[in-house]
Amino acid sequence: MRRRQADIATDPDAFEAFYRRHVDAITSFLARRVPDPHTVADLVAEVFLAVLDSAHTYRPGRGSEIAWLYGVARNTLSAERRRAFKETRLAGKVGGRRPLDSDDLAELEARIDAESLARRALKAMAGLPDGDRAMLELVVIDQLTVSEAAAALGIRQGAARARLHRARRTLRDVPEMAAFVLGGTR
Amino acid sequence: MNFKEHVLMELRAEIVARNEARRRRVRRRLFTGAALAGLAAVAAVAAPLLTGSETPAYAVTKNTDGTITLKINELRDPAQVEQDLKDLGVTADVSYVKPGTRCAPDRGESDSGPSFTKEELQSKDPAVRKRIKDAIANSPNAKALKIGHGEVRIDPHYIKAGQTAVMEFTENADQTSGPEKPRALWQFSGYLVTGPVAPCRIIDDPSWDQLPDPKKHPEAYPPAGS
Repeated sequence: MRRRQADIATDPDAFEAFYRRHVDAITSFLARRVPDPHTVADLVAEVFLAVLDSAHTYRPGRGSEIAWLYGVARNTLSAERRRAFKETRLAGKVGGRRPLDSDDLAELEARIDAESLARRALKAMAGLPDGDRAMLELVVIDQLTVSEAAAALGIRQGAARARLHRARRTLRDVPEMAAFVLGGTR
Repeated sequence: MNFKEHVLMELRAEIVARNEARRRRVRRRLFTGAALAGLAAVAAVAAPLLTGSETPAYAVTKNTDGTITLKINELRDPAQVEQDLKDLGVTADVSYVKPGTRCAPDRGESDSGPSFTKEELQSKDPAVRKRIKDAIANSPNAKALKIGHGEVRIDPHYIKAGQTAVMEFTENADQTSGPEKPRALWQFSGYLVTGPVAPCRIIDDPSWDQLPDPKKHPEAYPPAGS
């Protein structure tokens, strides 16, 4: 398993299988956070490019593939937000924007639309301390289990539960969170 | 085109480009010398095989055209190399042997490769030399196991069911080589065996590190630093 994971950075076929397994989940993950189809498309590429850079960090003992990938996606997203200007790292990418045809646009807009509740909830969570918010995001919005979310963030399960509990309590009565189950533990 | 397919294409190209760059960084060059010694593919190398402790002992990569690249960085763990190749559908028998020795060439039924007369082998006529070169390149062994750029390229299309890719590697203890002191730093020989493969029976090979005459085969001596 460990070897197979490292292979996705060097073996185009192994990578393709990995990509096809997860590209939809990552597109939705990004659509929940970014309301622009072009930016979502660019970020999908950036996330999977980051996968090539960090394939060696995957440890099967510490959570599922998707948990690890969400961790990579989170890091990519915050790096993108910090980045003052966008450099183009991939060959064949024109002017930093890849062309989207009408089908792409329709699909991405539909996805962004479908995630509007999630985006509103994420906005409502903006005031939380970073660590607490990250846990709540991954568990309540992205539907990871507590241990997967802990793996994605690289923290211990005990700490993860404490953060989640705090975050849930803080946002219990916020209307934007009503669509998401805040009570109970998974 | 669907943007997901587009992104996938870009990333596949990126992987290939990175693999290329890595290959270039390692900068190891193989050359064919003494290639006519009966076995299909024998190569000696005049560049260091060991590049540092951080490099993995070897790497097995599947290429998009169905071939497999085997890059040996360090002579250890042949069983794992065999297992990895098996995972990719290739039955292999890998031996690492000490300098000055080799496996006896009686390991099983194999294609002896094209044969040439002594006159042909010593001929200076470019047409004859080209004919010999082509005949070797087109032999079943050479098609299945190609050496070059510091690695072995295995083409499963040319390995039939019941055939084993037999590979023998030798590494010189002294990894210095230069114009004043040319020597073979390592040697590879590979061929296909049909049916059962006998274990490597070590025999002496005092001439194993003899390199071709630099005047006759300048291609065997890559410039320093390459």
